[in-house]
Amino acid sequence: MKILIVEDEPKTADYLRRGLGEQGHVVDLAGDGHGGLHLALEVDYDVIVLDVMLPGIDGMAVLRALRERKQTPVIMLTARDRIDDRVQGLHAGADDYLVKPFSFLELLARLQALARRGRSQDAPQLRIGDLEIDLYARKAWRGGQRLDLTAKEFALLATLARRRGEILSKTVIAELVWDVNFDSDANVVEVAVKRLRSKLDEPFGTPLLHTIRGMGYVLELREARAP
Amino acid sequence: MSLSLSRRLALMYAASGFLVFSLFGLVMHRFFQHQLDLHQRSELATRLEVNEPLIRKTAEPARWQIVCAKLDAIFPADGAARFWVLSANPQYRYGGDPPAGIEALGGDGYGTLQLPGRQRPLRALVHSIAANGDRPEIRLVAAIDQRPYFDTLHALTFVLVATSIAGMLLVAGLGYWIARIGLRPLTRLSDEARSLSPSKLSQRLPGEPLPPEIAELAASFNGALDRLESAYQQLEGFNADVAHELRTPLTNLIGLTQVALSRERSASELQEMMQSNLEELDRLRAIINDMLFLARADQGELARNRVSASLAQEVSKTVDFLEVVLDEAGVRVRVEGDAQIEVERALLGRAVNNLLLNAVQHSAQGSEVLASIARDQRGVRVSVSNPGPVIAAEQLERLFARFYRLDGARSGSRDNHGLGLAIVKAIAVMHGGQVFVSSDNGINTFGFTLA
Repeated sequence: MKILIVEDEPKTADYLRRGLGEQGHVVDLAGDGHGGLHLALEVDYDVIVLDVMLPGIDGMAVLRALRERKQTPVIMLTARDRIDDRVQGLHAGADDYLVKPFSFLELLARLQALARRGRSQDAPQLRIGDLEIDLYARKAWRGGQRLDLTAKEFALLATLARRRGEILSKTVIAELVWDVNFDSDANVVEVAVKRLRSKLDEPFGTPLLHTIRGMGYVLELREARAP
Repeated sequence: MSLSLSRRLALMYAASGFLVFSLFGLVMHRFFQHQLDLHQRSELATRLEVNEPLIRKTAEPARWQIVCAKLDAIFPADGAARFWVLSANPQYRYGGDPPAGIEALGGDGYGTLQLPGRQRPLRALVHSIAANGDRPEIRLVAAIDQRPYFDTLHALTFVLVATSIAGMLLVAGLGYWIARIGLRPLTRLSDEARSLSPSKLSQRLPGEPLPPEIAELAASFNGALDRLESAYQQLEGFNADVAHELRTPLTNLIGLTQVALSRERSASELQEMMQSNLEELDRLRAIINDMLFLARADQGELARNRVSASLAQEVSKTVDFLEVVLDEAGVRVRVEGDAQIEVERALLGRAVNNLLLNAVQHSAQGSEVLASIARDQRGVRVSVSNPGPVIAAEQLERLFARFYRLDGARSGSRDNHGLGLAIVKAIAVMHGGQVFVSSDNGINTFGFTLA
């Protein structure tokens, strides 16, 4: 994806550029509102990440000016967790918003969601290594052997499989699988992953569901490491 | 504009003084008026009675001359008293031509008679005497001047009014003085209150030498100070707790990063250290987000995106989310009752999540937690009950305080930084409700109301 980041805080801008770049995106950077608006109008981006507090003209004004000409998807970054900000941002035409401090993974997930938007539906069958998933029948097999999953375990597996290779944080998983959009102190996701793993990976040799410590979980086929 | 208390009291004293003196004056005035009237009547009656027997006996004109001479002696021509005898026969008349108003007096009895040239009417008494011999029926009219009577009444009125005004002023002045003396303890109290300083929070107003009414005021003021002091201490404690909660992860972060950088390390070693750092950072993020959330609630922010929802459904959704955790803990949750009310669903879910987690943490394996929803006249009550050890009454009210933990041992736990119930309280407040807690018969109930 081609992404524009409008952010005046150099450290934030720097890690966003580096992180998104390493994820294979092409990233442009603007340090103030005027520069950001100029780039946003001149260049066609897939997504714009726009900070609300900017020198020059602020994020809201940039967004309003942009929306007069273009419908590029915009994710707003705000430091003030005020409902007013959200309402104002969404009214002004933002597609999504994140409140600082936000996690990079969460930003990635939102970007993927925006990029996925409007794209055709997933194929009904997914295949990762010897794992086969039928999304319509809500059934999964590994090595031809049917996995006996509960409804939630299947939903978790399907969510991870649709985003294979993508690290999903616990918060994102809770939102996608349980439609829970608040931070819970409960270790629901850990326990659910542990249970899924006991059915998905433990009976079979190669693990597919990996924990990325401190970040979240990813479902992918990894090359077996040399012993 | 507000009058001072002593002026207000003085004015009230003056007003009541005015009322009392006016009433007294009015009654006295009427009483004297009546007494003077009686006096006049008895004077008139006496004048008639003195002459009446002689006149009654007189039956011939020759004797009438004697009567007239006698009457002349009693009633000097231009005196204060006048006397007329009216008769059909001119030989039996006395007092000269009767004045014009005399016929208006009518029959026997008292009346007033206006004479030309006189400022005031005369007071008159008419008395008829039946015919005797040659003499026809005659009417006697005695009249006296009312001036002395009115003069007395005027003098009296003047004295009454003057006394009333003087009395009123005296009462007002005395009232002011009494109020000043009576309110002196209040002035003293306000001086004491003024000398209270924020640096000496434990300072209180002295209740001892004060009269009971004001001592009560001082006591309630001291009560407010108590609450303020405890809130202040709680806030100070809260700040200390925040610093403490942040200090642990920060210490870990700084220390581990310094260790990491102190020598050459392999990529996998560095990776592991950064992962550990990330966990600490995530903990910091969670604490900061919760603190910001509480701060917003403190600033009076209300739930805005309220939509009508079935609470049983919302609670069940959270139970569903926690299913694996409940399962691991061996705890079942029963949802009872339902109500439809407007809520911000994410906030409600969070509150119920925190209450359920709290219940699960304090429930034994195999126990049942009851999530109950009930409507009462003020709104909806959502409560979560679990069997558990009795919680002391003095601890109950502090359970919803920030960073308050029942068992100190849990402090610093990774899953729980002691803000769970404080957040429930904030969410209740954001929905115009409040929290409640009880501990009876081995059942501990935590809940909140929504309005």
